[in-house]
Amino acid sequence: MNRTDLIDSPPTSSVRKPAAHVAAQTTLWERLPDILALIVLSIGAILMMLPFLWMFSTSLRPIQESFKLPPAWFPTEFHFETYSAVFSSSVPLVAFALNSVKVTFFVTLGQLITCSMAGYAFARLRFPFRNTLFLLLLASLMVPGQVTIIPVFIIMKQLGLIDNHLSIILPFLTSAFGVFLLRQFFLTLPQDLIDAAKIDGAGPWTTFIRVAIPLAGPSLAALTIITFNGTWNNYFYPLIFLNTWEKMTLPLGITALRGYLASNSASVVMAAVSLAILPVLLIFLIAQNWFIAGITRTGIKG
Amino acid sequence: MAQIQKTASAGWLRKESQREALAGYLFILPTFIGYTALVIGPILAAIGYSLTSYDILSPPEFVGLQNYRDLLTDPRLHKVYLNTIYFTVVAVSLNVGIGLLLAVLINRNMPAFLKYIFRTAYFFPVLVALTYCSIIWQYLYQKDTGIINYYLGLLHVEPIAWLSSPAWVMPSIIAMDVWKNTGFAMLVFLAGLQGISQDYYEAASLDVANRGQLFRYITLPLITPTLFFNMIIYMIGALQVFDSIVVLTQGGPGDASRSLVMYIYENAFQLFHMGYASATAITLFIVIMLLTLVQFRVGQSWVHYE
Repeated sequence: MNRTDLIDSPPTSSVRKPAAHVAAQTTLWERLPDILALIVLSIGAILMMLPFLWMFSTSLRPIQESFKLPPAWFPTEFHFETYSAVFSSSVPLVAFALNSVKVTFFVTLGQLITCSMAGYAFARLRFPFRNTLFLLLLASLMVPGQVTIIPVFIIMKQLGLIDNHLSIILPFLTSAFGVFLLRQFFLTLPQDLIDAAKIDGAGPWTTFIRVAIPLAGPSLAALTIITFNGTWNNYFYPLIFLNTWEKMTLPLGITALRGYLASNSASVVMAAVSLAILPVLLIFLIAQNWFIAGITRTGIKG
Repeated sequence: MAQIQKTASAGWLRKESQREALAGYLFILPTFIGYTALVIGPILAAIGYSLTSYDILSPPEFVGLQNYRDLLTDPRLHKVYLNTIYFTVVAVSLNVGIGLLLAVLINRNMPAFLKYIFRTAYFFPVLVALTYCSIIWQYLYQKDTGIINYYLGLLHVEPIAWLSSPAWVMPSIIAMDVWKNTGFAMLVFLAGLQGISQDYYEAASLDVANRGQLFRYITLPLITPTLFFNMIIYMIGALQVFDSIVVLTQGGPGDASRSLVMYIYENAFQLFHMGYASATAITLFIVIMLLTLVQFRVGQSWVHYE
């Protein structure tokens, strides 16, 4: 109440807008906090990037010089033999990458289908026990994966799925987080739109496919990126369920091969890691805004 | 005539709402099949296994509460719990604190492209797999060949055994964790800060509030929901710390950096003490649930919802 009273008084707003000549006269002393903030943030940002810079410059160093000190941060010559060593026949990096692509693809596709359907139902369809079921689902976000992994491992073993990609695809075909994310979006659709479709005789399925999904692009993109990243980087599940080289995904394979690659040189390890990070970097640069929207949307309203 | 029409339309409505309810259940069916098979079922099964002695090869043997009694007297379990709590308290505080500081600094007046660059730089490590980050940092932390000791050496600091001395190993793991994860908190805080109406600040500046007061009395109360969200998310994640420790130290030296989840993993999948590992995992579940409930309870007194 008080707040609006204060702001509505007209003289305030004119006082608050500094005229151009006033801005020009701002002294260095007044701008000092802004400058300090810039300096702190810049130093911090450089420190954040140094480990990646070290990784990349080491990956381009000749194999004998990977531990050279002081480190050459910016390589003057480019040695790509580390990268060809990564692709040599003794290192199944390509197989790891293909496995990761396969697992990530099916998990992401599965979540897009199951989460958008469930999210739509929880937001827009009326049925008995809807809120109870939704809360029950949300509660599962609190259940740590380590509690369920032992029984899940035993189930997979009985199904004969150990060292099979299905064992790390099936458990992730749906996610409470994804359902939550899309429900929050579908709640924002105007009711008129849904009613209009109903009047035209569209059933729930048609309304979902023809009206709701076409509008959900940004939210589906956010879920795609978040799921892609989580699956691409997953280590715990593959570590437990996969045990032959041919089946391993990238994080598991590179970590397992680290000792072998390092006997060659740290530069080769860094070449492998650089390659594994590359898709994440590319996707992030292309789709950064969707990604951030997805995270912040659940963050604020969560 | 009117009567007939009314009944007909009521019948049509009822059929319509039944159809909608049926569709609702069908829509959530795939999710709930997964939920039952992979969350509810396994939780019940884990409780069951925790009451048995089970090595996968021979059938489980009922031992009552023996596993839980063993937990109480297992000195290694106490050690890994202490490590995990230490990690959680320090890593959550630093991740959330630094994330808030960064967000407040970035949220000042500055050109949009600088904001974009800072946001990208601080957030990027969040996206990179923890295993890769750990591999990189393991090299940086090397005692003799690592660049951290090299640059400290230029300042005449004796080489530090970052990953192999019991005193330094946890701070080293936490430092990497903060580098890797604080960008997430920053991003969530930035969204929270940008959601604060400018009106509040204009109103407050009439009372000649200085920057510190503005932050203390306007910004902080208004971002408490975001702060709360971050604390819960980071706490749940930190209590499950695993990947980074496995790659950096394998729990060493001794048990100096072994985490609770590593201990569960080793008991279950290396020693095949499935019953004992299940009992340990159940305690973790209970701890996470209790801490989350406590946070929600305490949160009511300090979280300010508009």
